[in-house]
Amino acid sequence: MSDLAVNAPAVAPETDVAAPRGPRPTRALSRRNIILYGTLIVVAVYYLLPLYVMIMTSLKGMPEIRLGNIFAPPLEMTFEPWVRAWAEACTGLNCDGLSRGFWNSVRITIPSVVVSIAIASVNGYALANWRFKGADAFFTILIFGAFIPYQVMIYPIVIILREMGLYTTLSGLVIVHSIFGMPILTLLFRNYFTSIPEELFKAARVDGAGFWGIYFKIMLPMSLPIFTVAVILQVTGIWNDFLFGVIYTKPDNYPMTVQLNNIVNSVQGVKEYNVNMAATILTGLVPLVIYFVSGKLFVRGIAAGAVKG
Amino acid sequence: MRSLAERVYVWAILLSGVAFAASRIGLLGDAGWLHWLFLAAALGAVAVLAVEANGLKFGDNRLRRYALGWIIAAAVALVLWAFGQKQVQEALPFLTAQRRIWGALEPFGLYLAGLFLTFMASLLVIGTLDPIADRPRPIERTLIRRLPAKVAAVPMVMVALGIFVGATLWTVYHSFTSSKLLPKSDFVGFDQYERLWATNRWIISIENLAIYGVCSLTFSLIIGFCLAALLDQKIRFENTFRTIFLYPFALSFIVTGLVWQWLLTPEFGIQKIVRDLGWTNFTFDPLFNADIVIYGILIAGLWQGTGLIMVIMLAGLRGIDQEIWKASRVDGIPMWKTYLFVVIPMMRPVFITALVLIASGIVRVYDLVVAQTSGGPGLASEVPAKYVYDYMFGGQNLGQGFAASTMMLLTVLVVLIPWAYLEFGGRKRV
Repeated sequence: MSDLAVNAPAVAPETDVAAPRGPRPTRALSRRNIILYGTLIVVAVYYLLPLYVMIMTSLKGMPEIRLGNIFAPPLEMTFEPWVRAWAEACTGLNCDGLSRGFWNSVRITIPSVVVSIAIASVNGYALANWRFKGADAFFTILIFGAFIPYQVMIYPIVIILREMGLYTTLSGLVIVHSIFGMPILTLLFRNYFTSIPEELFKAARVDGAGFWGIYFKIMLPMSLPIFTVAVILQVTGIWNDFLFGVIYTKPDNYPMTVQLNNIVNSVQGVKEYNVNMAATILTGLVPLVIYFVSGKLFVRGIAAGAVKG
Repeated sequence: MRSLAERVYVWAILLSGVAFAASRIGLLGDAGWLHWLFLAAALGAVAVLAVEANGLKFGDNRLRRYALGWIIAAAVALVLWAFGQKQVQEALPFLTAQRRIWGALEPFGLYLAGLFLTFMASLLVIGTLDPIADRPRPIERTLIRRLPAKVAAVPMVMVALGIFVGATLWTVYHSFTSSKLLPKSDFVGFDQYERLWATNRWIISIENLAIYGVCSLTFSLIIGFCLAALLDQKIRFENTFRTIFLYPFALSFIVTGLVWQWLLTPEFGIQKIVRDLGWTNFTFDPLFNADIVIYGILIAGLWQGTGLIMVIMLAGLRGIDQEIWKASRVDGIPMWKTYLFVVIPMMRPVFITALVLIASGIVRVYDLVVAQTSGGPGLASEVPAKYVYDYMFGGQNLGQGFAASTMMLLTVLVVLIPWAYLEFGGRKRV
């Protein structure tokens, strides 16, 4: 497949790149197009297949799953697995379904997103416009810190949180998310604020605005797009987190991902594949909706995070 | 120019901070008062400065306002300290609910109060030293210029030093101790590492990580680049295809792992489908076959992650000058040759970024394995991150967890240091 991908464009190179004026002289069914779109469609099917299977499985009853084929659409559509996954699925002694994990995740995600973005945006602003000696050194440590495996830092943080009496609480987890969201968000905001023309900043200074005045009156109103990108980045990141959730909370406070894993991979009882798949979709729903709604901003977020400078 | 007293002052302040942090971690043992010594040294330096300036002149001190600010800060810190005291807590009942938090903050309050009072003293003295403000002296610069920005950067400094440096060093240090159920500070050399490398499970983890890492790197880069190249052909529905290729990246590793666990179940999944089509001997059960289980995880990992690489590559391809294509067309070079010998070398920075990104993700692989196989069958799909977690929180063998996580850190550094050298070492760039 990869072979095709490289060779395909070579067949008819004259059809693209800065075509001469007038309508493009392309045939819709040229060999090049068939190979090109054929490959893309095959790959797209591969990428969509798991989602399709997930949805189909979650809409079938257990007898139908035992008989049949995971790719076949349900003969008798039922939403019962979804209801059961949401309200009745068991983890250990609790049998109130994923709803508990959902609300925990909401209660973790919202404060974490607010706190981490508030800190990181002010910080990025200070780094971009009010540079002081030593700031770049700390910033470099922060960026390199983003690459340190979390496993190296989790235990000391357990001790710190335990000292503060916040271990296994939701507030403790919010602190952890704020800490580990800081490198990427600070980078995001610093780069954005650096790109705002400095004349604006200087004009505000001349008019007597101070650190906070410029931040709230000039920078904040101008940076709605980057705030949106940051929110998308953080919501998906925190919602999808598993490691911190399982370490820094206790079963009552488990976020949705941890609870989902416990439901699906629990050893006792008969495996209800349809309920499991419904639960899996429910957990993936929030980031998926954000992804499909936000579109380009999501891409921009990960591109900003990935390609530095 | 800094005078000697000024230099002593700056170093004493820095050292007192380090000593305080070390005493909080517990590294200093009985010498927990060391930071006070350094603060006293700083005050001594301030006194010397005052003598050099022919005594204190409070009357005409233009920095009194700032000194007042530091007094207020010190007062706040003292209140923080007071909240940690038993008598105060008994007097103010609303404090008792968060007693442990106040207790944890108490030493910080006391230290900060001392630090701020030192700052105040030094400002009063520096003010008399240099009454004409055309060129602020170093101490004055650090304590007054752009103070709001410095205050705003406090969380960053705390996280950078406290977590990323402090916690990492703490773990590395404790990997040389015999910590079991609780962390201990006795130094036992490389014992934990010897035990680690003698453990079968760790060897399997490392092997799995190596296989997963090499395959994941190669396939992510190749597939990601090819998809990006396909999307770069000015095709219709580019956005639709990109959305489809990238959506798994929005899903968590847990969701990814569970979906692929279902797809790869032999009784229902892909194996059954192919058998129903007629190939009754077809076997494809990676999650139940210890020899190939890591490839089952790889499939899921690639499904989730290649979209990201594609997006990065696509951004790189869009950054290539269109003239290159025209030139290669004029010269009659086939497209695949242009890609291979012109475009890919030009995209070197993008490839390196993608490489670092994938590599740092690989070392962390944990959720995916937990969701898909829980390390099974047997130990066949264990990975280092899981080893760390299980020993720290399940096996109650902290030393092993610390040693294993330090090895993970080492792996990352092996990738990170050459990259940092390439990226920042050659040319000066901020």
